[in-house]
Amino acid sequence: MMASDPPVVSTPALAVWRSRSIGLLLLVAALAFLPPLLLASLWLKVLTGVAIYTLTAAAIALLYRRLGLVSLAHVALMGAGGWVGLRLAYGLGTPFEVNMLAGGIAAAGLGMVFAYPALRMRGLYLALVTLMIAGAFAIIVNVLQFPNGGGGWSGFAVKSAGYMPRPAIATSDVGYYAYCVVVTALGMALIHWHEIGKAGRAWALIRRSEAAAMSSGVDVPFYKVWAFALSGFLAGIAGVLLAGNLQMLDARSFPAAESVMIFALTIVGGAWNPVGALIAAALYRLVPALLNDFGVNGDAAYIIFGAALIHALATAPRGIAGQLEDLASRLFGRSNGGNTR
Amino acid sequence: MKSHLWGGSAAIAVLLLLSAGSAAAAPSCGLNNGQAATGEPIKVGAIVGRTGPDDFSSASRAAKAYFDCVNANGGIHGRPIEYLVEDDQWNPEVAAQVATKLVKDEDVVALVGNASFVEMGVNAKLYEEEGVMAMASGCAVAECFESKNIVSTNEGPLPSSVGAAQWAVANLGSTNVVCIGLTIPSVGPYSCGWVEKYMQSKNLAGTSVLLDPSAADMNSAFLEAVASGADTVLVNLPAGMAAAFLKAALESGQRDSYKWISSTPLYDRDVPAMLGTDWSGVMYVNIELTPIDGKGPDASNWRAVLDAFGTADDPRDTFSQAGYLSARFFVAAILQQDPAKLDRATVTEAIRNIKNYTSDLLCGPYYVGPGDRHMPNHANMMVEMVEGGYKVVGECMDVDSAYLDPYRANEKALGIVN
Amino acid sequence: MLGTYGMFLVSGLAVGALYALGGVGLVILNRATGVLNFAYGAIGAVGAMTAWQVLEWHLPEPLAWAAAMGVSLALSLGFGLLVAPQLAHREPVIKAVATLGFALCLLGLMNLIWMVTSRKLGLFSDSLGFSIIGVRINGTRLIALAGGVTATIAMGIYLSRTRTGLLMRALADNREVAAILGVPVRRVEAIAWGISGVLAGFTGLLFGGLVRLDPAVLTFLVIPVIATTIIGRLKSIPVTFVAGLLIGVTESMLTLVKPLAPFRVAAPFVIATLALMWLQRGRRLTFAGED
Repeated sequence: MMASDPPVVSTPALAVWRSRSIGLLLLVAALAFLPPLLLASLWLKVLTGVAIYTLTAAAIALLYRRLGLVSLAHVALMGAGGWVGLRLAYGLGTPFEVNMLAGGIAAAGLGMVFAYPALRMRGLYLALVTLMIAGAFAIIVNVLQFPNGGGGWSGFAVKSAGYMPRPAIATSDVGYYAYCVVVTALGMALIHWHEIGKAGRAWALIRRSEAAAMSSGVDVPFYKVWAFALSGFLAGIAGVLLAGNLQMLDARSFPAAESVMIFALTIVGGAWNPVGALIAAALYRLVPALLNDFGVNGDAAYIIFGAALIHALATAPRGIAGQLEDLASRLFGRSNGGNTR
Repeated sequence: MKSHLWGGSAAIAVLLLLSAGSAAAAPSCGLNNGQAATGEPIKVGAIVGRTGPDDFSSASRAAKAYFDCVNANGGIHGRPIEYLVEDDQWNPEVAAQVATKLVKDEDVVALVGNASFVEMGVNAKLYEEEGVMAMASGCAVAECFESKNIVSTNEGPLPSSVGAAQWAVANLGSTNVVCIGLTIPSVGPYSCGWVEKYMQSKNLAGTSVLLDPSAADMNSAFLEAVASGADTVLVNLPAGMAAAFLKAALESGQRDSYKWISSTPLYDRDVPAMLGTDWSGVMYVNIELTPIDGKGPDASNWRAVLDAFGTADDPRDTFSQAGYLSARFFVAAILQQDPAKLDRATVTEAIRNIKNYTSDLLCGPYYVGPGDRHMPNHANMMVEMVEGGYKVVGECMDVDSAYLDPYRANEKALGIVN
Repeated sequence: MLGTYGMFLVSGLAVGALYALGGVGLVILNRATGVLNFAYGAIGAVGAMTAWQVLEWHLPEPLAWAAAMGVSLALSLGFGLLVAPQLAHREPVIKAVATLGFALCLLGLMNLIWMVTSRKLGLFSDSLGFSIIGVRINGTRLIALAGGVTATIAMGIYLSRTRTGLLMRALADNREVAAILGVPVRRVEAIAWGISGVLAGFTGLLFGGLVRLDPAVLTFLVIPVIATTIIGRLKSIPVTFVAGLLIGVTESMLTLVKPLAPFRVAAPFVIATLALMWLQRGRRLTFAGED
């Protein structure tokens, strides 16, 4: 049962990715500015959600891919980041970017708290601890609610709905969509930058063998905690972006089962490839919206979704992104290193 | 006492006599001329929480039946209503998405029959920015009654639970009420908090017991209520949770030590059978609209419309009444406009001008007005649970709460006759 | 005052018995198959809804009990035999999240078959019961408690005294080695899926009667129930059982601590996290591998 071994494709894929940085910039620009020209407002709203959850999925994938760690609490981390962001927006009236960073840092702090058990556990056990944290968060936030401009430390009052201001440069839905795409791209670049740097090498060593990593002078606890902090930071940023999208948050968005769901979809999308995070987010937000728009009954959509989830987990060990990669290499006959399974 | 008795009002009695002639009457809708409307459709939207912890679609089903009936009877001066209903799946993000779709992409002139737990808070700003009115029918949260562009036909948990407490103080001699509500602040603390304030304003005692919606342990909640020292228990929970709570109370053998009252969720055709005979003659329920088996013209017409244009499994409940009524008032308002000039601006204007519309389904008049908050319906009735159904024990009574002061000020300015 | 504490203690034990019973079923399955079943609640919920339907048709109550357990058995076994083997090569977490997919399927199916509305499941045992220190305990709660104790003891005997039990323990300790040694993995796993399915149906029925007959509530109750299994380290049936009772009592007692009372539903999660941290104290994990 050593299924948690990393598949060997990651490094060459990254190399290819780097060599195409200009192409990537163009791609991000196209993703940020083209859809508003082509799509109705509904789909723009849906795609904003997809962009935000792409960042969350990328943060989950980072932990899984680099350290084999499973977090079933990332939706709760988003909620925590969003809570802090909203609190600052109402309490101090600070600009959106400041709130976003503060939300990210708060969630990073929480991520580091999670990392404490991770130093001693892994696998299903660790996953369940994070699930417990997600469960507790859902209950607590249900009582406290998200700040809406009320007084006191919780910043919540029963009153007419309050609305958090969006960034000054992106107040419209169109602008905000582009903003989310750019922030998500920056977040993924931050992950990439870590992976190709010192941290990435340390993580790779830890993943192979913690004993080997330690003997070669890697500070194992530090790099584990750092991975959690980075992952939490990005989830917190995503949480504030989500708050900016609705201009508020509602406790009902954060049940524990959602955290499990986004992790499952991250695996289905493919944790070994940056495109996987995008696929995961599309499955999480775009597919249900499409089904809803086609008039598929919400309960029937649950059945389709659940069955597809099981199927994908059973048949695609490297996720849909992995399958696409295989397909591409077969179509173009291009063998890039360890891409043969 | 500001309370106002409406029962036996002469106008209703006359209408009752008039409608008595035609027993299984054909439905009457809009222009009622029997001609199918064929002109350019008028798009009207609705957002309901259909998939999720509960099904809130009954209001939009009733509104749809009414609009179908209007379309078969001349429409809006020949123009049919195209009714687009979206499911928010009890998810705030989905609620924002479908609202964007209806308001921006479909360009609906108004929303009618909305019923949701999440939609109103998320979308109030969008409605205001886009200048579109939502004539909701099923509001359960505070935000819904404190927004400029949302007006609901039902009254939500606050008037319903305060009304129940008020009736119990006057008729059961209650002096200490414990309100059992949800922990969600804009639902439980909102309504139970104002029950406490009402009790205090009468120099009586009031407390709250708040429960998480997923709570499994109803026994402890009941024990907490017992510990409060109350003489009356106000059950202010969704029906399924209320049933579990009442079961724990029954199990404890302490049912008869308390007086029992409830807000509207326990008023449903299926509830008496679900709770069984243990609560017959014991439980008194506040109802936000008049009884579902009422004999007035609107009560009869609502059932006739659902029979003719709805389906057999469309629920015949309070939300359904509210959905019918929202749709009827909407049609009445826009029928007065020039059909060629019906767009969002004129429709919003027409809805804001609604004043002193009456119905036997409501205790008081319905109005909208330009205010920044709306709660036209704040008088209610009490029924007693009897074997297999309900019996009216309290006629229409206006709710006595300081929460309503800003609404009453609006009413005074508008000249609403209450 | 002692009386008040006593009342909440007894009330907590009654809820704890439900958590405990659910936890025991999860652990039995996890030990034998390595699958933590997120669909356990949903499988039980289908059983409870089936029982409600049988009673709604005015059929005798024993039939409702049999139907609940039969349907849950079939669902659990069906998943265990048809779907789980396809996931056998994946790590435990992936197997666990795949069962969430099954839970969603079942939840959607239930909502399609039984329109969402408030229902109540009345069982014969509701009207039986007795009082201790001012709290009346009804028969259904006693059945839950007795069921939990029986399942814990019976599984203890089964695992230590029978051949299949031995094989199950072998599987739990090391699947690869057990398979090489000729343990009939599929057959033993099927037995475990079956036992856990019957327990899920039984638990779902009691939850439906005592908590609420609501598919979504019953489906997601699996998450607090998982808290009990964490304290039992996903392995120990007796510890899981005791943890369930402990969590129930703590949750109930928190009612008396006013500022914390609204948060008391979070008790299972907080207790499980603290327990785990304490259990793991002083443990260092230096080599990559299984947990």
